[in-house]
Amino acid sequence: MLAFRSEEHVERWCESEGLERGALMTPEQQWRLADVWYANRLARDWQRRTPVEAEAVFAELGLVGDFWRLQL
Amino acid sequence: MTGPDEAVRVHIYERFVEDGRPPAVAETATALGLVETEAAAAYRRLAEAHVIVLEPGTTDVRMAAPLSTVPTPFRVETERGSFYGNCIWDALGTVAMLGRNGRVETRCPDCREPLVFTVTAGELEPVGAVVHYAVPAARWWDDIGFS
Repeated sequence: MLAFRSEEHVERWCESEGLERGALMTPEQQWRLADVWYANRLARDWQRRTPVEAEAVFAELGLVGDFWRLQL
Repeated sequence: MTGPDEAVRVHIYERFVEDGRPPAVAETATALGLVETEAAAAYRRLAEAHVIVLEPGTTDVRMAAPLSTVPTPFRVETERGSFYGNCIWDALGTVAMLGRNGRVETRCPDCREPLVFTVTAGELEPVGAVVHYAVPAARWWDDIGFS
């Protein structure tokens, strides 16, 4: 999970690394995902999300499709 | 997660935040009144459950997401200290976990230009950037270091 200046920079980097392009998201989506995911990590009652719960978090942020699927 | 594993998890995170490094098994055992082998077993169970990542063949913590024990290209400044995140998700997650005020400094891997993400009172300031995930979600834990 890396931050680039623009989509053009992602394309160029993927080509230079020999990688297929993955998924893109906006900085705002990434912040919201980070906030939802980690805000309570220090809490004593924290529990790791199940795949179903994690997919629900992704979907709420518009992250849908095969790339974001955790359940087989 | 219940019992000693939860207590060990919380201790690892609390010490990591306060000391800037995660505690060794012996330190955790002493702090929680556990036999060292019990604490070591808890570390391994937490790693098997993908709660923490250990250095291969050891009980040394490599990652307690979102925090990294080794320097990365994701430097994080928060109200509670400076840390390294494992990736941009974790770097911003560190800000979220530690008060929702802070900044992440990284560089575009393509052109090496600096990129700064600033969060103030829970709001991300506009930044000219895009985030790329190379590995599909179902395969993140195949190689969490790369992901």
